[in-house]
Amino acid sequence: MAAADSCDGISTSGGGWEKTVTLVSSDDARFEVREAAASLSQTVRRMIRAGGDGGIPLPKVDARTLSTVLEYCNKHAAVPAPAPESSSAEAAAVDLEWFDKELMHVDLATLCSLIRAADYLEVAGLLDLTCKTVADMIKSKTAEEIRQMFGIQNDFTPEEEEQLSRENAGVFE
Amino acid sequence: GITTSRNKRRASRNQQDKISGPSLPMDIWCHIHSLMPMRDAAQVACVSRAFARSWRGRPNLTFSEETFGLNENTCQKDKLVRYFTNKAFNLEVYASYDEKNNCHLEHLDSWLQIAVKPGIEELILSLFGIIGAKYNFPCSLFADGAGESLQYLFLASCEFHPTTKFGCLKSLTRLQLYMVHIADGELECFLAGCVVVESLDLRYCSEIICLKIPCLQRLSFLEVSTCSNLEAIESKAPNLSSFDFAGDLDVKLSLGNSPQIKKLRMRCKDATYYACTELPSKMPNLESLTIDSPTETVNAPMLSSQFLHLKFLAIIVLDEMDYDFLSLGSSFFDASPSLETFFDASLQMMPRHHHDKLKRVDITNFTSARTLVELACHIVESAKSLVRLTLDTTKGGPRCFGGNPYSCSLIRSRDAILEAERAVQAVEMYIKPKVSSTVELNVVEPCNRCRATEL
Repeated sequence: MAAADSCDGISTSGGGWEKTVTLVSSDDARFEVREAAASLSQTVRRMIRAGGDGGIPLPKVDARTLSTVLEYCNKHAAVPAPAPESSSAEAAAVDLEWFDKELMHVDLATLCSLIRAADYLEVAGLLDLTCKTVADMIKSKTAEEIRQMFGIQNDFTPEEEEQLSRENAGVFE
Repeated sequence: GITTSRNKRRASRNQQDKISGPSLPMDIWCHIHSLMPMRDAAQVACVSRAFARSWRGRPNLTFSEETFGLNENTCQKDKLVRYFTNKAFNLEVYASYDEKNNCHLEHLDSWLQIAVKPGIEELILSLFGIIGAKYNFPCSLFADGAGESLQYLFLASCEFHPTTKFGCLKSLTRLQLYMVHIADGELECFLAGCVVVESLDLRYCSEIICLKIPCLQRLSFLEVSTCSNLEAIESKAPNLSSFDFAGDLDVKLSLGNSPQIKKLRMRCKDATYYACTELPSKMPNLESLTIDSPTETVNAPMLSSQFLHLKFLAIIVLDEMDYDFLSLGSSFFDASPSLETFFDASLQMMPRHHHDKLKRVDITNFTSARTLVELACHIVESAKSLVRLTLDTTKGGPRCFGGNPYSCSLIRSRDAILEAERAVQAVEMYIKPKVSSTVELNVVEPCNRCRATEL
C-alpha cells in the first residue's frame, strides 16, 4: 500500500479522493500515505499540523520498519466504523485480528524495532500489539533464555538470584 | 499508561534512541511486564535487577479480571501478596459476567482476607460488571484493628452489612458507596465509627430511606445521588460545607448547619425554581451554586432575597426552548452582587446588564445561533472585569486526553461537526475582534479524532 517515492497530493483510494502526506525515513526513502492513516501516529499528526513542505522527516525510523508501521496504519485507518453488532462489524474485527497476527510474524530484532518505532511515532495500537507479542513470547521462557534473547546482563549476586527464585517457587508451585 | 510517562523519560532517552537490535528501553519493559499475568511477570523478575524493580514496582494489588481468577487459575495468593507494599487493594470488574460465565466470587473473600491487613490504606471493590451476583462484603475483615489504617473505601454493587462488632475505621477520610445494599440503621452506626471522615458519597443505594448522619466533626463534603427510595436526609455534621444532591425535591433535607453551606450542586427536576424560592433563605452563604435541571415545569420567579457571597453560578437546563432564561438570568444577576463566574449550558438570552465582578464566563453548547453570538459580544463589551471567556462548541463532555481512546467526547454526527465549525467561524468573525487583549478567549473545538470519525 505504501508506495515509495512520490510527492504530496491527492490519490484515489476506495473510490474517493483523499489527502496524502509524504513521510521520509532515516535512510531517505519517501512514503506517500493517506493523511488519515498517517494520523494514527500522534507524532506525525503533530508535524502535519505544524505544516511544512517536502515531506515529514522521521530520522529515527528506517525504511524497512516504517513500511511495516505504515502497513499497520493503512489497514487500521481503512476500517470505517460500522454499526456495532452488525455482521460486517464482526467480520471487520476478525479480519483486523488476522491482519495483526500476520503482521507479528517477524523475527525478534524486527519486532523490537517496531516497538521502538511505535513508541517514537506514538501509534498506541501498534505499541500495545507489539508489546503484547513480546509479553506472550517471554512468558514461557526462563530468565536465562530471556537474557540471551535480549542481550540483558544478569546483575544479580548469586545469593540474590537464589533468594528470588526461592520466593517465586514458594508462591507459584 | 506508557504514553503518559513519555515526556518525563524523553530527556533521558537520547542516548539509546537508535532503533535497532533486540534491546528495549526499561520503560517499554515495564509496559510489557504490566501486560503479563502476575505469575509470568513474577518469573520475568528474575532476569535482572531492573526487571525485579519493575515487578515490585507494581504499586498496588490491582487485579485484572483475568488475574483475579475469573478463569480459575489462581496461585497461592497468601505468599504472592507479601511481595507488595500492599497499601491498596483494587478490583474493578466492568466487563459483564453472570454466574454461568465463570465468575468466581468465592475467591474474593480469601483475596480480601489477605489484602486487608493493618497498614492497608485504600480498598476499592467495584463489581458493577457482575450481573445478578450478590456479593456480601465480609465485614469481619475489619475487626481486630485491621481497618484502622484505611483511609479510602469504595464499594460498588455489593451487600454491606456492618455490625457493631465491625471495629472502627479510625482513619477513614473518604467513603464512597455505589449501588450498595445497606440499611439505614447499619449505615448510621457505621458512620458513627468513621470519626475523621471528610467526604461521603452515596449513589444508587436504593435501600436507604432516611439517611442519618451523626455529628461527624470533619465531614465537609456530602453527595447523595439517585438513591431512589430516599425520603429524608438528617445531618448533624456541624462543618458540612459542600453538598451535592441528585434526586427528588420531595426529599426532606435537614442539614443541621445549612446556613454554613458554601457549595451546592442540585440535580433535580425544577431545581431552578427551588433555587429561586427556597435557597436564598436556607443557604444564604452559598459561594458556588450549580443547578442542573432536566426539566422545569414553571418559570422561575425573582429570587426571594440575595446571595451576597455567590461567586460561581452554573445553570444547566436541558433543551428547554420555551424556558425564560432571560428572567432567570437577570434574577440571579440582580441577587448576586459578588458573582465572578457564570457558566451556562443552554443559554439563549441574557439581560443587558453591567456585571462588575464577572471574571469568567463559560458557555458550553455554543452554536452559531444569532442570539448566542450576540450574547457573547454583549458579555465581552459589558463585563469590565472579564478575565476569561470560554466558548465550547462541543457540548461539553470529556475531551481527548493523551490518546486515550475512551475519553473523547466524540461528536459522532456530521451535522454536529459542521455546526461546531460554523460556531468557530462565527467566533472568528464577530466575537474575536471585540475581545480586549486582557481577556483570554478560549474556544473549544471538536478534536481531530472527532473530525476523523466523520472523514
